[in-house]
Amino acid sequence: MDTMIIEFLRLVLLSMVPFVLAGQGTMLGGRTGVFNVAQEGMMLVGASVGFLVSFFSGSIFLGIIVAMLSGALFGFALAYFTTSLKMNQFVIGLSLFFIGLGVSTLLPKLILGITLTPPLIPTLKSIPIPLLSQIPFIGPILFKQNILVYVSVLVSIGLWYFLFRTQKGLELRSVGEYPMTADSLGINTTKMRYWSTIIGGMLIGMAGAYLPMVYAGTFTEGMTMGRGWLAIALTFFGGWSPLPILYGSLFFSAIEVLAFRVQVIGSFLPYQILQMFPYIATILVMIFTFKRSRVPAFLGNNYDREKRSL
Amino acid sequence: MTIAKKILPYLLAVVASFVAAGIFISLMGFDVFKAYQTILFTSFRTPNGFIQTLLKFIPLTLLALAFTIPLNAGKFNIGGEGQMMAGGIGAAAMGIMFADLPAIILLPLVILGGVVAGALWGLVPAWLLYKFNINEILTTVLFNFIALFLIDYVCTGPWRDPAAGHPTTVLIGRGGWLPMLVNNPPLHSGIILAVLVAIGVYIYTSRTTGGFELIATGANPRAAGVFGINTRRMFVLSLILGGAVAGLAGAFEVAGNQHRLIEGMQSNFLQLGMIIGLISRGNNGAVPFVAFMIAVLEVGASAMQRTMMIPVEMVFIVEALILLFVLLSDVVRRK
Repeated sequence: MDTMIIEFLRLVLLSMVPFVLAGQGTMLGGRTGVFNVAQEGMMLVGASVGFLVSFFSGSIFLGIIVAMLSGALFGFALAYFTTSLKMNQFVIGLSLFFIGLGVSTLLPKLILGITLTPPLIPTLKSIPIPLLSQIPFIGPILFKQNILVYVSVLVSIGLWYFLFRTQKGLELRSVGEYPMTADSLGINTTKMRYWSTIIGGMLIGMAGAYLPMVYAGTFTEGMTMGRGWLAIALTFFGGWSPLPILYGSLFFSAIEVLAFRVQVIGSFLPYQILQMFPYIATILVMIFTFKRSRVPAFLGNNYDREKRSL
Repeated sequence: MTIAKKILPYLLAVVASFVAAGIFISLMGFDVFKAYQTILFTSFRTPNGFIQTLLKFIPLTLLALAFTIPLNAGKFNIGGEGQMMAGGIGAAAMGIMFADLPAIILLPLVILGGVVAGALWGLVPAWLLYKFNINEILTTVLFNFIALFLIDYVCTGPWRDPAAGHPTTVLIGRGGWLPMLVNNPPLHSGIILAVLVAIGVYIYTSRTTGGFELIATGANPRAAGVFGINTRRMFVLSLILGGAVAGLAGAFEVAGNQHRLIEGMQSNFLQLGMIIGLISRGNNGAVPFVAFMIAVLEVGASAMQRTMMIPVEMVFIVEALILLFVLLSDVVRRK
């Protein structure tokens, strides 16, 4: 029984990574008012590019870096169209989602051809932390994970510190609350929106790259299975704050792992009902949290300093 | 503004995206002219090609309308896929449960089953929006995934056709089949209904009070509210209408094309429908024309993949680029 619980919790931490990274990426952009809805497409591109680069270069690390760069490119496009050209954020986000969707399947087809046996890349190894991983029960759960599990936790804590304990972070948050005031205080709102969206895009790209590197060892069409959209729900669930998003992703990932485990063990429920479970649970969770969620006041809007009022 | 001036940005957008994609295609070492010839003319070269195009035109128009009707009210319905699948399930359920009824009863029942199921699939996110103020983008998307697994359940459950290799239900009753307009190659009469629906939606949104309230809600919800329009109710109505139209598309796939429910029938109609709706800028009158154009590109794309081994996604990216350039033309005009 004990080993089962340990295994379950270990898997929950393992599967939380895409949620954490994509959620934090969404949050960071949203904190300056840019509401990204292209996550699903950006994660797919990250997965596709990350897989291809790791396969050809033999280096997973390089794969992750290039996936992050592809995410940054999408983030830059989002920032440019919304912040500089002042175009509707949802429309642009959806367009980028389409492009991501197309590019992610096009690239493997062009580069690898259409094959029935896709090539595999080695999956991320777990790195036990000396001494700490020896602690009974907690050790194997917390300190025997792959590198990105540690990275995602550190990123979350780092973002919390940056946003809530530094001057720059306060300035960044003010852009997403009331950009006119921020602007009048000499904060460069445009620059803030660009950087938050680009770095947010990097995190989302990394979240995508995690999927082929941990689950399948290869890229499959649509392998995100809605995780990008769930990340948006998670961001609302976490009230657009780094630490609650980290805790929330544990919950999202626990549901995912639970649904999968029960499927493997077998139950009286048809397996399709179990597959629906994460999505239904997300909707139920939103019913209880959506109203109370603290949302950046300027979320989804574009700031035009030449207009008289917001 | 003259018509020519109106169409010019679209033409430029199409040309620009074809040039951009053409550079990429030639860099990959393919013959660009042959590729574009295939994409543009496959639909018009043979009767079969043209009918294939019309068969794509039906779901594309309906799914685009499923997106634009809520868009007119200022809401994003990204659940057309789920609503279409729900419609397919509803239609198949009617056609299988009442398989022995005569066509005069069964056919309307099958169509209605699809429309009602689609509307219900739109109603739930609409209700969540009305009651709890939950962002409709998220809920409609999540309902796509729920429908995806539901269709898998139906196709592998008690109605499953054991002879088929792919998850599929048994055939629906003969009475539920849409009559054919042309037998070889097959074209079902759903296209007439689809065109009628498109015209109806256009008239509703541009010539009636109800439609005007819908558009007013989307244009400026606060002003609409001040003038006594219940905007929240308009949101709900628009999402239900959108769901019903997408459900109709699902019913047509079942009653017209396959005569059974097949997993994967939703194809990528959702994304294409949204691209069509956005290129039309939410103008319901323009939707059928843009949908026809995209249908031509899609039929050409699969021909291109067959004969030249260029993946179909290439054309999907072209379509997304057209959308982006059309959107950009707005910015250019503003300056």
